[in-house]
Amino acid sequence: MNAATEFRVLVVEDDPDMAAFLARLLTGMAVESVADGESAMRSVKAAPPDMVLLDVQLPGKSGFEVCERLKSDPASALVPVILVTALEDHDSRVRGIQAGADDFLSKPVSREELLARVQTLRRLHETRRELEARRLAAEVQRKETIRKAFSRYVSPRLAERIIAGLADGEAPFMGEAQRADVVALFADLRGFTRITESIGVQHVVHMLNEYFAVLTDAAYQHEGTIFNMAGDSLLVGFNVPFAQPDAPARAWRAAVDMIGRFAAVSAAWRDRHGIATGVGIGMCRGEAIIGNVGSPHFMSYTVIGNTVNTAARLMQMAQADEMLVSGTLFDAIRDVVPAGRVEPRGDVALRGKSESIRVYSIRP
Amino acid sequence: MSESAYQVKVAKDLQDLIPTFLSNRKKELDALRTALAAADFEQLRQLGHRMRGVGQSYGFERVSDIGKRIEDGARHGDKTALEAQIAHYGEYLSRVQIAYE
Repeated sequence: MNAATEFRVLVVEDDPDMAAFLARLLTGMAVESVADGESAMRSVKAAPPDMVLLDVQLPGKSGFEVCERLKSDPASALVPVILVTALEDHDSRVRGIQAGADDFLSKPVSREELLARVQTLRRLHETRRELEARRLAAEVQRKETIRKAFSRYVSPRLAERIIAGLADGEAPFMGEAQRADVVALFADLRGFTRITESIGVQHVVHMLNEYFAVLTDAAYQHEGTIFNMAGDSLLVGFNVPFAQPDAPARAWRAAVDMIGRFAAVSAAWRDRHGIATGVGIGMCRGEAIIGNVGSPHFMSYTVIGNTVNTAARLMQMAQADEMLVSGTLFDAIRDVVPAGRVEPRGDVALRGKSESIRVYSIRP
Repeated sequence: MSESAYQVKVAKDLQDLIPTFLSNRKKELDALRTALAAADFEQLRQLGHRMRGVGQSYGFERVSDIGKRIEDGARHGDKTALEAQIAHYGEYLSRVQIAYE
């Protein structure tokens, strides 16, 4: 049996003969002996044993006090404590039960009684530990599965926050669909159709991966949630699933980052393939419906509504390296966007929309 | 007292602990005598209590027995009884014979 699996017993006994006797009987276990309550507390704190054999009459702190302290500390509350008392000392047993002792042993100590009590508590303790280990392993596995699933949609930090907030056994995003004020950001690649026509398939997939890598990095950097990735377009939501009071500014910074980060990729493509590309971005702020949409076999966490549709229309109109934002969003970021980069476009009629909306063009 | 009263059977796996055990009993005897001379009944009670716990655990039933009598004598402040028990303890320790099995 190695040190990691050895059953460790702390004997707290001020009589050296008694301590030596108890240690000798606990053959096959790792026994540490201390002579007073303070030393016992220090030892347990440094390395909690699997069991404590605790004499009642100790110099300084009594065995009862030590037992109470051990049982009131979550780190040692589950460590079984056997109180060693005089045979006829009924009061000590009552006091011991009140202090949280798991079992009692009478002095003079009978070898058979000691071994029987230790073995019983050892089995109980090991069963309890095994159950706890299994529960923890299942919990870790469950959270890891959730983390892997989430990491495709939300930033690692956001995933941690969602997982940390989950109660045991609860599944994330299982609540009812809800209306929320969101900022929807749509991005796509200008000139992508030409790329697919003029460049080999194997290159196209690699290029798309490069493109999405920089865009998702930028989205995660500002803690956006990725709702959809189709063809060359990306839908990112802010203020969902958790409130982000600065969602408009986050969305704007994410958009600036997307265009900025993609510039290096675009330059490399121009050198490699002789093509000119850029990112076009549409953003809108307003109400949307968020929830799990689909069938029992295929479900996705989705954001839908007029705000999302408007962002999509604005994206379609945006030129390379241009952000087109709705008036509702611009009003919220007016103070953080440098004035020289903004060009009001007035009221614009969007395809499929009955009413025109205020639109602003921003260049990074 | 018969010779058999001084014969003790001790478990073999405790054999190497016995010299220290007996040495500590002799120190204990000195402490008992000192406490009796000073009429320190609380110290006598504690020493008797300790003898009671450790004696029979090692197989020395007589040590526990004498320890209980010393503890009781100390509780009652019975100096005569204590003198007799401590003298008896001294004699016991000088004559005890151990068989390991």
